[in-house]
Amino acid sequence: MIVSTLKRLFWALILLAVQVLILDQVHPWGYGAPLLCPLIIITLPMGTSRSAALLWGFGVGFVADIFAGTSGISSAALTFIAFIQPPLLELMAPRDSEEELHPSFSTMGRWNYLQFIALLLLLHHLVYFALEGFSYFHIVDIAISMGVSYAASLLLIILIEHVRNPQK
Amino acid sequence: MHDFIERITAYIHWALFLILEAFSGFLLFQYNHYQGSIWFTQANTVVGIVHEWEAKALSYLRMPAENAALVRRNIILQQNLDNLRHELAEAKGDTSLSQKTQEELIEGMTLIPARIIDNSVRKRDNMLVIDVGSEDGVAPEMGVLSGTGVVGIVSGVTPHHALVMSILNSHSSISCRLRGTEYFGYLKWKGGRPLRAYMDDVPRHAHIEKGDIVETSGFSNVFPAGIFLGKVAEIKNSSDGLAYELEILLSTDIANLRHVNVINNLIKEELDSLKAQ
Repeated sequence: MIVSTLKRLFWALILLAVQVLILDQVHPWGYGAPLLCPLIIITLPMGTSRSAALLWGFGVGFVADIFAGTSGISSAALTFIAFIQPPLLELMAPRDSEEELHPSFSTMGRWNYLQFIALLLLLHHLVYFALEGFSYFHIVDIAISMGVSYAASLLLIILIEHVRNPQK
Repeated sequence: MHDFIERITAYIHWALFLILEAFSGFLLFQYNHYQGSIWFTQANTVVGIVHEWEAKALSYLRMPAENAALVRRNIILQQNLDNLRHELAEAKGDTSLSQKTQEELIEGMTLIPARIIDNSVRKRDNMLVIDVGSEDGVAPEMGVLSGTGVVGIVSGVTPHHALVMSILNSHSSISCRLRGTEYFGYLKWKGGRPLRAYMDDVPRHAHIEKGDIVETSGFSNVFPAGIFLGKVAEIKNSSDGLAYELEILLSTDIANLRHVNVINNLIKEELDSLKAQ
């Protein structure tokens, strides 16, 4: 339990560092950069208590917010998907899966896991960009920023997941 | 009783969810009051140090490009200096009162050089963090300039860092005018492209052409008058149809900035105290 929590913490720190030190500094055409932090929530194993998931979401979001100067936005978006993740995982995991299933391409199947990532990431981006844009931005600009960031994040996350846990 | 407690604990995550979302909302709302929330931003000491390491590491990689840019800027400044010397020599013949006060204004200021250690252009409310703070003489409300024009206004300081509200921020509003005219307005950014901003409230009888120069008006005491902001790119009607809204091509590319100067406007306090009287 403690070891897996520490492992997860280490993993979260690496992703946060990549986000803050590299991805936040990239401004492709002035539009959205990829957001990696949702991956920490996406990969929470089955059986994580819902309160623990929420605390992970908020904690990671809070740190990301402080470093990126988006206070409240990441924490709100990540807390939201941390609320959705456990029941969604129950729903989408294969029937015969083990009790402490760690979501990945190999444990959930390529298509299932892809859908799982795409859906949670979409929910995250909807909340994130709605909060960031409010009514001030032109709606077209938010939509473009969101689209660019969503596509970039999805590609990057799929890439990372393939490297981390290649399909058997 | 036991059943009751069990039922409550089964739903505790709902309460936690609502509390955490409410707290996020509080942070989001609180952030609008920039000065009050300096410790929750990129300018807090720990975050500042991390970004400083990063900026140092990156600056080695960017050295060649940076050098080329500095040389170019040097040449431009040299040209400007020559032009100004020339103009000054001509103007000295009939030194008017307004020119005198402007010279005095510039004399009263010192520039504090700074490096940008964190920067963004893709958000709605963009902020910069620079590596000078209250111990270097930086205080809130001071203007920040680059070699190509206005960058923003200091909104909060810690001992060694300062948080700067970029002109690419929905809350930024800089008093400006069209060079050589008496038409004043406010420069605002409306999101989207980082080189496009808008100047509102230009009267309809004004004669404006594309390419006209927009500069600071000097009304706000933050920036002296006459600092380059950009050029008129598009002339549009304001939403109520009563004035022009000018689309401005900004002279400063915030996304690619490294070095800036903070204007330590020493006489600002005097002006402020005069106004208060």
